[in-house]
Amino acid sequence: MLAALAPVLAFARPAIDWHALAPEIILTATICIVLLVDVSTSERNRWATSSIAGIGMLAALIPILTLAVKGGPRIMFGGAYVVDDFALVLKALFLVAGYVTLLLSTNEIAEGDFWEGEYYLLVLSSVFGMTVMASARDLITIFIALEMLSIPAYLLAGWRKREVKGNEAGMKYYLMGVFATAVMLYGMSLIYGGTNSTVLAEIGRQIHGSFGKEPVAALGIVFVLVGFAFKVSAVPFHNWAPDTYEGAPIPITAFLSVASKAAGFVAILQLVFLAFLGRGDVIRPLMWILAALTMTVGNLIALRQTNIVRLFAYSSVAQAGFMLAPLAVVGSSASTTREVLQAVVGYLLIYTVVNLGAFAVIIAVGRKTKSGEISSFGGLFEYAPGLAVAMGAFLFALAGIPPLVGWFAKFQVFKALVSQGGASGITMAVVVGVNSVIALYYYANIARTMFMDAPPDGDRTPIRVPVPLLAAMGMAAAATLVVGFIPGVVAHLAEHATFALGG
Amino acid sequence: MSAFLREYLTVAIFTGVAFGLLAGVLSVGKLIRPVRPQAEKYFNYESGVDAVGTGWVQSPIRYYVFALLFVMFDVEAVFIFPWATQLEIYGWFGAVEMGIFIVLLALGLLYAWRKGVLRWT
Repeated sequence: MLAALAPVLAFARPAIDWHALAPEIILTATICIVLLVDVSTSERNRWATSSIAGIGMLAALIPILTLAVKGGPRIMFGGAYVVDDFALVLKALFLVAGYVTLLLSTNEIAEGDFWEGEYYLLVLSSVFGMTVMASARDLITIFIALEMLSIPAYLLAGWRKREVKGNEAGMKYYLMGVFATAVMLYGMSLIYGGTNSTVLAEIGRQIHGSFGKEPVAALGIVFVLVGFAFKVSAVPFHNWAPDTYEGAPIPITAFLSVASKAAGFVAILQLVFLAFLGRGDVIRPLMWILAALTMTVGNLIALRQTNIVRLFAYSSVAQAGFMLAPLAVVGSSASTTREVLQAVVGYLLIYTVVNLGAFAVIIAVGRKTKSGEISSFGGLFEYAPGLAVAMGAFLFALAGIPPLVGWFAKFQVFKALVSQGGASGITMAVVVGVNSVIALYYYANIARTMFMDAPPDGDRTPIRVPVPLLAAMGMAAAATLVVGFIPGVVAHLAEHATFALGG
Repeated sequence: MSAFLREYLTVAIFTGVAFGLLAGVLSVGKLIRPVRPQAEKYFNYESGVDAVGTGWVQSPIRYYVFALLFVMFDVEAVFIFPWATQLEIYGWFGAVEMGIFIVLLALGLLYAWRKGVLRWT
């Protein structure tokens, strides 16, 4: 009995790479500090939590830069936690998106009837979960990261707690999230049952080998991917998104439609590229159907929206479709697979920045008009030309018009799809093309309202934009313009965001 | 049938079996159970107490908070017991790790205490 236990009892201290874990450690420390400040100050001084959270996120970016300079993948815990270039690029994206969310929130949360300290605590916790997700290369770590980022998000979605719509937002998001988690865990259990391993690299080896030929492998892969399709709100698993986005506070809507969605995509990329690639024949048709449905349904429903937040909810559903599209040709050849990864990562980076910028303008305008209707943007160009021009830039970037940055994202998607050369890639490219045109209609419609219509209430007093909001808008606008002319920056990042294989 | 369709046939069969099993069990139950309707059987069951009012009521949140705190320390115990039996083997490394774990959980308790949720009245 004891002899059998001997290998268990022998304890080897795990090697911990402090440098590689520094971003997560800084975030954890910031979470603790924010909590302590929240419980030890009076309600009047809670604004400090916002600044501390922001400083913490920026501080966590420093080790990411030093890690990027040093280079080389760092593999920990038997391959379950890997800090490679892919992880670093995505961690930086999550931290920047989190920081911009804080900038968007500061005035909104301080002026409304909200709990402040807890709000920043939960945003930090969610961002922490995302940074873990970017490194998770093991089914259990992926699951923990997913819960770590989702549970605070469920609470934040229902933050307007005295409003029925806020309750509805939190409740729907929570129930659908739990349901998706159940489906995903079921798929994971099938895969673990077949491979006897939770590490993605080992699962990948076995799916290339004999386990991949078993029918249960297809079943497990489909269930896991469907679970994450909920997370990225792909049609037909998108029903929660519009109501949740409408009911949540608008900074949280921005956060959910950008960071939370990106985290879902990160998980999909890790699973598809590291574990499931051996069964590309199962993944490709699933992704083809999901992407085509997501783009088309999202865009068609967005056409009919009159509320700007709901329109952005459906447009973010459609954008998820554009990001899923390259996965429809994944694994057909080595070079295509590489281009698919570049296209999805590049699209994620660009979409995140542009969408956050658009939400910054929506918040700034909403502070004056107190309305979410698209018609309330009428005449914006007359009394707030800066905001109108910035919003126009973000809208056309989302639609993919050069020279704004969005064209490059779409271009890479097309490139990946066409490089495969087969019928599925070409047809997918056609679907993407048609949908880009549909999307242009509703994006341009908002621009028309801003530039040509008169203000609906005749109120032409200029809008005062608070400094944090202005900073968020400025950063997003600068990135939208500059990167549009030099797309090499994003291409460079996306090209380098490759996985460290093995481990 | 192509190889591709056969793969997805697995998923379809699996879905079919899941629905079939549910429908089968429910319909077997319907076929073999006796039906003797009584008014009492159609009440909502609530711990043997007659239900009053609608489902949309406010209930004291205190029980929930205490249950959460209980779960928190339950989980802590789940990790501490196995660690305690192997205390010497894990040595200082284990002690520090467990210290960090307990401090993080204690922060949650501190939060609950400062926000006044530990007071019953």
